[in-house]
Amino acid sequence: MNKLPSEEKVTTHHTKLEEEAGTLSRRDFLGFLGKGAACAGAFIGAGAAIGAVEAETGKHAFQQNDAQYEEAVNNPPQIPGYNWNDHQWAMGVDTTRCIGCLRCMEACKMENSVQMDANHHRTWVERYVYLEGSNTALVDSQTDPKNIENAGSETKFRFDDRYRHVKVDKAFFVAKLCNQCEHPSCVQVCPTGATFKSKDGPVLIDTTYCIGCQYCVQACPYGARSFNESRGTAEKCNWCYHRITKGLNPACVEVCPTGSRIFGDRNDPESPVSLFIRNNHVQVLKPEMGNAPNVFYKGTDKEVV
Amino acid sequence: MPKHIVRLLILIAVVAIVAFSAKKFLVPGSFYQYGHYRGNAVAEVASKVPKLQGSASCQSCHKEAYAVWTGGIHRKATKDGAIQGVVIKNGVNCEVCHTGPAGNHPSKEAMPLSIEDRVTTITHKHIDHPADIPGRNLMLSPSDMRNLCLNCHDKLEARPAMQRQIAVENHGGAEPCTSCHNPHSPRINFADLPRPPVDPITGKALPVIAVKAGNAAAGKSVAAACAACHGNTGMSINPAWPNLAGQHADYLYNSLKGFKSGTRKNDTMSGMAAGLSDADMRNVSAYFSKSSCGATGGDKAKAELGKAKAAEAGCAACHNAGGLRGTGPAGISASQAWPNLAGQNAAYLTVALNSFKDDSRNHAVMSSVANALSDSDIDNLSAYFASVSCK
Repeated sequence: MNKLPSEEKVTTHHTKLEEEAGTLSRRDFLGFLGKGAACAGAFIGAGAAIGAVEAETGKHAFQQNDAQYEEAVNNPPQIPGYNWNDHQWAMGVDTTRCIGCLRCMEACKMENSVQMDANHHRTWVERYVYLEGSNTALVDSQTDPKNIENAGSETKFRFDDRYRHVKVDKAFFVAKLCNQCEHPSCVQVCPTGATFKSKDGPVLIDTTYCIGCQYCVQACPYGARSFNESRGTAEKCNWCYHRITKGLNPACVEVCPTGSRIFGDRNDPESPVSLFIRNNHVQVLKPEMGNAPNVFYKGTDKEVV
Repeated sequence: MPKHIVRLLILIAVVAIVAFSAKKFLVPGSFYQYGHYRGNAVAEVASKVPKLQGSASCQSCHKEAYAVWTGGIHRKATKDGAIQGVVIKNGVNCEVCHTGPAGNHPSKEAMPLSIEDRVTTITHKHIDHPADIPGRNLMLSPSDMRNLCLNCHDKLEARPAMQRQIAVENHGGAEPCTSCHNPHSPRINFADLPRPPVDPITGKALPVIAVKAGNAAAGKSVAAACAACHGNTGMSINPAWPNLAGQHADYLYNSLKGFKSGTRKNDTMSGMAAGLSDADMRNVSAYFSKSSCGATGGDKAKAELGKAKAAEAGCAACHNAGGLRGTGPAGISASQAWPNLAGQNAAYLTVALNSFKDDSRNHAVMSSVANALSDSDIDNLSAYFASVSCK
């Protein structure tokens, strides 16, 4: 192999340096560094993998070390009449029963003082419509201008009847909300520790620590987070943590008139959600993202993400 | 050691000390307690006071409305109250519709009164100062009420078939849903239609000012003026004019009032009604309602077709003594305020249906029904009801 002149020159220079340094060549040193980095990376990767496995078994919450886990078990937060070690909350959404009345959205806004317009929400409903002969769904939600016009106001939510006079192969409503993932992307990216995975399931927001950078809004693969301009903090569903810790259902579940939303404790095999998951074929949204959601859907389609 | 190195080390030490003490003082003790967050935040989030209170809490004050709801179909989410083994606690909870007031409804803490006092006070506030009460968005206006019903019952392609859905344009037209349905128990009770006004707080029917029944004997003298067209006993001499014999008195009275005020338009009848006092209208209505009617008959073949159409068009929902699902005689209306059709002149029924169709006579429900009928449908229906016995 013919060496290029410049390469020759470098090599010569290199050899000279090597002689000056005496023992370790730069090439060897760099090689050593590279191997070291690879080994360290492998260790960190393995550690992370172990952490993930532990989180999946329901022991450690997301990004929680052993000492913090022990603390969570032995010294749980001071919530009257409630111990977060006794519960593992989950939600089910039976899309075959959803009538798209959007009462869940309205109740949620009332309960959690979310901004009242159609574009701000912790939970919402989407309509999937397959027109005759079509393989792709037309999707709209309460934010669609036609639906807002039909409702008569930005602060009232209702689906219009635009598909009444066209042929439809298949159509259904899907309620969406935060999936309270086991591996929440939003928690991973929060720079201030303002959002976190609680031990009993919900991903919560500490509004006093939220600086409103909206990085979490970008990170969520489900679009479940929004920004509350009036508070200047991120906004998301927390399964009405203030209600479930008092033995109540989340507001949306409480007002769902058809029982399309099912909520309960997975530690209790007879809770509504345990029965729902046991008795139905359920799936989660975007399983390929690896977020391990805790909202289980029945009757969704491949188009529902 | 060189001086500049010492200075550098001192600087580094100072920065480190400042940084560590800042961390010590500024990071709250509970940070890192359970993870990379403030441990106290969990209890803070949980300490918020729930706003939606659940139907049971409504019961403590709104006993009557709660009882009506409990007995009705809105109480159940499904026929057996269960879905695949999952028992649904409630069907349409109070706060599904009353979301507005639930959030800032006067709580026990806010109103330290006995239950009876509290109900009186709230009722009082509703009546005297409707703008003052918290949660005044309680859907009291008919248009809101209508939207509220349609939120769940509008006919949409994506709604599952098990949900009862209404295509409004073929159902009640512009009539408020509450004219026929009690929202707390929406299955229609045909015995008390049209629904009397309801107290929004208790759900109790408000006392209707007792209407004096007309005096049939006194009405006979007034009826003399009607006889020229409607006959002495209320059997009209021209088939295009309605028989009055055996008609519901309330319906006749309302019609006369309509002609007098101009909400119903007919030159002859407006002229006739203009000269009548309220008592006259009551009396003459009572007189004709008591006289004996008779089937006028209609084309038999058309009547057969009309019978089938009547079942399909849902006439029986109102013009049947037993109501929608009742078994009473056909053509006899469930409400005193709606006309009997049995034995009516076929020609007049055709005129009436056409006037609803072209909006020369205004009635939201009837217009929406008539708009869906063809000319031959109207012919057949008229023949059918003319041939039904009115006894």
